[in-house]
Amino acid sequence: MASPVPDRELKKGSAELMILSLLEDRPRHGYEIAQLIDLRSRGAIRFNVASLYPLLYRLEKRNWIRGRWVERPGQRRRRYYRLTASGKNVLSKQRAGWREFVEAINLITGIQHA
Amino acid sequence: MPDFKIDIRTRLKDLGLSPLREAEIVEELSQHLEDEYERALSCGASEEEARQQVLEQLNTPELLRRELKRVEHRVSAHPVTLGAEEKINIFADLWQDLRYALRTLAKNPAFASIAIVVIALGIGANTAIFSVVNAVLLRPLPFKNPEQLVMIWENATHLGFPKNTPSPPNFLDWQRQNTVFTGMAAMSERSFNLTGVGEPERLDGRRVSANLFDLLGVPALLGRTFVPDDDRSGAHVVVLSHSLWQRRFGSDPSVIGLSVTLNGESYTVIGVMPRSVHLPAYGTWQDKLWVPIAFTNEEVTERGSHFLDVIARMKPGIALKQAQAEMETIAARLAKQYPRSNTRIGATVTPLHEEIVGDIKPALLILLGAVGFVLLIACANVANLLLARAAAREKEIALRLALGASRSRLTRQFLTESVLLAFLGAGLGLLLALAGVRVLKTFVPSMILQIQAINIDDRVLLFTASIALLTGIVFGLAPAMHALDSNLNDSLKEGGRDSAVSRKGNQLRGLLVIGEVAVSFILLIGAGLLINSFLHLRNLDPGFRTDHLLTMKVDLSELKYPDGQRRSVFFDEVLRRIRALPGVQSVAVAGNLPFTYNGDSASIAVEGIPDPPPGQWPDVIYRAIGPGYFGTMGIPVIRGRDFADQDKADSKKVVVISEKTAQHYWPGQDPIGKRLKTGATTSRAPWREVIGVVKDVRQNDFIAQPKMQMYFDYRQLKDLAANALVVRTSVEPMSLGTSVRDAIWAVDKDQPVADIDTMDHIVSEAIARQRFSMLLLGIFASLALVLAAVGIYGVMSYSVAQRTHEIGIRMALGARRTDVLKMTVKQGLKLVSVGMMLGLVAAFLLTRVLASLLFGISATDPVTFIGISLVLLAVAVLASYLPALRATKVDPIIALRAQ
Repeated sequence: MASPVPDRELKKGSAELMILSLLEDRPRHGYEIAQLIDLRSRGAIRFNVASLYPLLYRLEKRNWIRGRWVERPGQRRRRYYRLTASGKNVLSKQRAGWREFVEAINLITGIQHA
Repeated sequence: MPDFKIDIRTRLKDLGLSPLREAEIVEELSQHLEDEYERALSCGASEEEARQQVLEQLNTPELLRRELKRVEHRVSAHPVTLGAEEKINIFADLWQDLRYALRTLAKNPAFASIAIVVIALGIGANTAIFSVVNAVLLRPLPFKNPEQLVMIWENATHLGFPKNTPSPPNFLDWQRQNTVFTGMAAMSERSFNLTGVGEPERLDGRRVSANLFDLLGVPALLGRTFVPDDDRSGAHVVVLSHSLWQRRFGSDPSVIGLSVTLNGESYTVIGVMPRSVHLPAYGTWQDKLWVPIAFTNEEVTERGSHFLDVIARMKPGIALKQAQAEMETIAARLAKQYPRSNTRIGATVTPLHEEIVGDIKPALLILLGAVGFVLLIACANVANLLLARAAAREKEIALRLALGASRSRLTRQFLTESVLLAFLGAGLGLLLALAGVRVLKTFVPSMILQIQAINIDDRVLLFTASIALLTGIVFGLAPAMHALDSNLNDSLKEGGRDSAVSRKGNQLRGLLVIGEVAVSFILLIGAGLLINSFLHLRNLDPGFRTDHLLTMKVDLSELKYPDGQRRSVFFDEVLRRIRALPGVQSVAVAGNLPFTYNGDSASIAVEGIPDPPPGQWPDVIYRAIGPGYFGTMGIPVIRGRDFADQDKADSKKVVVISEKTAQHYWPGQDPIGKRLKTGATTSRAPWREVIGVVKDVRQNDFIAQPKMQMYFDYRQLKDLAANALVVRTSVEPMSLGTSVRDAIWAVDKDQPVADIDTMDHIVSEAIARQRFSMLLLGIFASLALVLAAVGIYGVMSYSVAQRTHEIGIRMALGARRTDVLKMTVKQGLKLVSVGMMLGLVAAFLLTRVLASLLFGISATDPVTFIGISLVLLAVAVLASYLPALRATKVDPIIALRAQ
């Protein structure tokens, strides 16, 4: 992969937050999630199937998101994930925590807020 | 588009995911890869580049596997179907299985009800017969330590009496000399005329040793039993049976001390026994009361006078063999001491239980075997039904296997279903058995005393539950194994009807039909043999005409009628009055009636022939009768004459002998005018002149060949041996019962009249046991035949339904209806003939156990074998013809679409 990939540990900690955020406004399938992360990070963050789906399944097991096969006429069926109530809860907590964390890092490293 | 599924699947291989989960993940991931691939193409990559690009995502070594493992393995796979192997919770599973089974059965009410009824028939028959076996064979006798109780007989096998009733002096010597018994008691049957309270009545009773009830370990319900002091001569005390106390004395406890008149003498009631006391007895004898045996002075000296039944209790730790050995030693000692009477007389010790149930045991065990066979056939039928259903459920099973249900789990589910069926059937069967036991009681010969005790108790319930469980497993296992032994791919395919599994199922069904035919053939042969044997019995000539013959017991009191003169006055007046009744053709005084009594025989000395050496005296049965007896009974007088009015107490002593006696003593000569006497030549008995020869009559035993017989005129006998009347009627005999009894009471109002019966009924009672076995085995064999026919029909119908397509093609290509008919019937007959061959071999081997129950035919009677084969063949042809007929009505067009 040509683009610089952020460190795996960092990505891992933030990955849950990214996915939950993307599912906040509507249910999406796995490929869509991957596409959106790629697009919105302008290619900086990319998930491949080997890491994305295990993560989705883990979130599902924790009952933060819920996957459901949806069939649409003329299309093959796809598995759409939506945020559950407890997922929403987790999302708001993680968002707050992440904000504090980023602000703290900024204060230390002197990086100006973009 | 490249297929990424294989690439994904190989990476998931050893994660141990459930098939459904794996399928989901593969689908989701491959979709993702396909989307990436298309995007790469749209960005201008070549197909190969795009493929490489996409696959790269999977190439991070082990990443997908490791990541998935963390998620998927932490929580074990959810059971997609009915629980998974790893999570064994038997009770939860069982509950789930039960509910599922009930739902499945409720969805197929026709299948369920047929299966339940078939099982109910099988289990019901088993439960009913087992309840008889339980009551008669298994339940211990109602005595203390009953296994220690034995009966002891004189062994006179050389005279044809391996179990002869001992004489009092022999009994007393046994009692004194043995060291193996804690006690020994004697009994002797005796009838009593109860008079003075209500209607006069003749009662079965017994003289018994004072220690009898102590020996049996049965205390009196009221009052006391006998003490040694009662046993001296002249102690007029009586112990009543429960039934007599209830019936004649209204269960009044103050009966103790009451004085009753028995045979004209006064006795004091000292006790009442509990209901359970039943002593072994011959024929229909049922003790109503007991008196002390109190041997007379003559009795204790007459070693040749055999009339006792002896019961003894073995000391603890003594085995039957030891008791037998000791008794033989004592008998040998007595033979040396009293050669005249005891030469070659041994002793036989038999368990009391065997004496009471011995005769019925083989028949009961055979019946138990027969109902076992019926149950097997029922199982085969239900297994067939389940197989057919398993074929229909093949797809369901394959799907569940594909979704991760383990085979053992599914087997459990199948067995739960079949065991549930079996228990539902058993429930219904129990109801059938309850009704069956009620019917059985009326069929069971009255000689089985425990008959009142036949009921459904804990042991019977346990038996029923066990066979229900067993049958459930037996008929459920085969279909379960078969259904699970399937190829998932084949089964899941549409229209995969002709799979190897179905072919195997057909084979299994064929085998079941073969088994059913074989087993029902055995049963039918058994029933056929018994029916044939019974017909032989029924056609036996008893030696007299049994129809239109009314009989009754008229036991005179020895006090009131002490001699032939007074008896004759009484009987003459009674006969005169009876003769005057409309519908009466003739009437005569009789001794013990045929088939109601096993005694009265004597050895005889014949003038001009030297007495045989001791131990070789043939026995001759004798009966005391009055004039007109032969005519009334329809016994032909071959030579000479019947008794007549001139043969009185004081005139010349005469005797009428049977053909067999004549041939034995005077072969080729005319016996008329020859003389004989009872006992030895030197005995004090008077010589009697032979005045007539009559045809042989079956006297003691309906089945055995007639023995030598002789008849005395009752007026010329000192003993009171005439105790019955026979009346030949022109109307239905029982319709005269009351008027005949009233005629007797008009002469003596205190004279008991008992057992008013027809000779036809007495004969039918004499072969009741044979009829009982025949009827029951006949019923079970018919049941087996019906079940087998249903089985054949079911399999043929199923096979025809499966071959509808093929039959359609054949008919479209010009096959005629008869061709199709022939083909289908031939297929059925192939199964049936294999079954019959197997059954034939088995029947040849098994029917030998019937030999002891057969009369007049052998256990391999060819007529029966051929006849039964034809019956079974006819039923089999019919059972496969009907489905065949339906097959020919198939419209080829519809049939061709049937696939």
